[in-house]
Amino acid sequence: MKTLSLRNLQKTYFDPYAGSQVTAVHDVSLDVEEGEFVSVVGPSGCGKTTILNMVAGFIPYSGGEILLDGAAVKGPGPDRGVVFQSFALFPWKTVLDNVGFGPKMRGVPKAERDRIAREYLELAGLSHAADRYPNELSGGMQQRVGVVRALANNPAVLLMDEPFASVDAQTRMTLQEELTRIWQERRPTVIFITHDVAEAVFLANRVVVLSKGRVLDQIRVDLPRPRVWDHLMQDETFKRLSAQVLQMVRSA
Amino acid sequence: MSIVLKLWSAYVRATKRWPIIATIVPFIPVVALWSIVANSGMFPRAFFPAPADVARTFVALTYKGILPDYLQDSLVRLLTGAAIGVALGIPLGLLIGSSKWAHRVCWPVLLFFQAIGDIAWLPILLIWFGFGLTTMTFVIVYTVLFPIVLNTVLGVESVHRDLARAAQSLGASRMRVLWEVTLPGALPNIITGLRNGLGYGWRALIAVEIIVGTSGIGFMMFDARRAGSTVEIILGMIVLGILWYIVDAWILAPIERATGRRWGLVTS
Repeated sequence: MKTLSLRNLQKTYFDPYAGSQVTAVHDVSLDVEEGEFVSVVGPSGCGKTTILNMVAGFIPYSGGEILLDGAAVKGPGPDRGVVFQSFALFPWKTVLDNVGFGPKMRGVPKAERDRIAREYLELAGLSHAADRYPNELSGGMQQRVGVVRALANNPAVLLMDEPFASVDAQTRMTLQEELTRIWQERRPTVIFITHDVAEAVFLANRVVVLSKGRVLDQIRVDLPRPRVWDHLMQDETFKRLSAQVLQMVRSA
Repeated sequence: MSIVLKLWSAYVRATKRWPIIATIVPFIPVVALWSIVANSGMFPRAFFPAPADVARTFVALTYKGILPDYLQDSLVRLLTGAAIGVALGIPLGLLIGSSKWAHRVCWPVLLFFQAIGDIAWLPILLIWFGFGLTTMTFVIVYTVLFPIVLNTVLGVESVHRDLARAAQSLGASRMRVLWEVTLPGALPNIITGLRNGLGYGWRALIAVEIIVGTSGIGFMMFDARRAGSTVEIILGMIVLGILWYIVDAWILAPIERATGRRWGLVTS
């Protein structure tokens, strides 16, 4: 069953300095099944973040449709959880209150939302950090909080915008492995934006390659789970798929 | 040599335990110099009083109740003005900071009125409202308002756009975003604005009291000029300095540091 559906999505900006229209997204159609993990990969300027921002409702789209469970998307909403490259944790709230923010907005009483938040912190192995403030945590820990904060709100889709781009390489690999583990446990529907081809293939069921505001191609990734870097790095299928995607991105 | 080091070590440990010592000690040479000059007979005593004379006047005026009354009048005026300034300034700053259009429309106007110093309003205010509380309050509010508005705008604009987006994606309405994200995000700047505003307001208040006052520290000083009492004038100046130091260094600055540091918004 498809959850999210983009149909002929288009985005044009008016550039007041140039005095003309600029097209960021030409014509993108994409269906995402419930429980699917889709990576969207492409060179910078291909429109991938613009697409995510439109799906999240942060910016309006100029043409086409975005349907979530059959209803048109308009503006940001709790049915689409977002994980940001900048983490975007509230610095004046403890980790527990950050994770409990979504339930709080839904009017869940304090005791119940603390229970929910603790459950999700445990999922991310962060129970010990519940009472700390975000600036006391490492980048990797902050983004773990960012991920479970979005998940704790039970969104229909999880939108991730290059979430691991600003952490160091070792931490990134750990976070990727944890994300696949959490995905297996909870089966959220995920759209994951990245420019890192190996990351895209490692995480996803399907990789969508974007170029100049259009979908260039898509590849299914049927690698077995759980996925662990130590295994996959040697895996022939993984290597072949990564090379294939890389070639597409570079030709884009 | 070692005796100097021992004294120094004792001083450092003492200031660590009682920080007020670090505030008072630097004034010892200032007061000493003042005392030497005043007692040297270089100037007539009535013209240039000694620290002891001022201290005696301080005790006498406090005992009579004049100084506490005037001090209270001044502080109440400042706090009233500040409260109105905050009540107007924060909402105005939030509006201008969060709306591109409000910013475009209001910003130049705001800078224009900021440039007209508080005292420059006095001539027209005296015609409009006369010598009274309205004029005084107007000037204080005016002085306090601008630093608060400008810093609130700065604070709102310094809040990362992704924070508001994150809150919206977690189900926050526009009002909730304002309350949960914009306001706490701008708070360190708002407090900086309040601190600056109160500092300017305090100075403006004394100036206004000198011109339109019937009570207050500024009035006391100007009234003393008529009587030729240099002691009271100097006492007033010292009271102003000490009071502001207490308010700023012991109340406002720690609050400012606490909000900024705890949230990691200010790197220090």
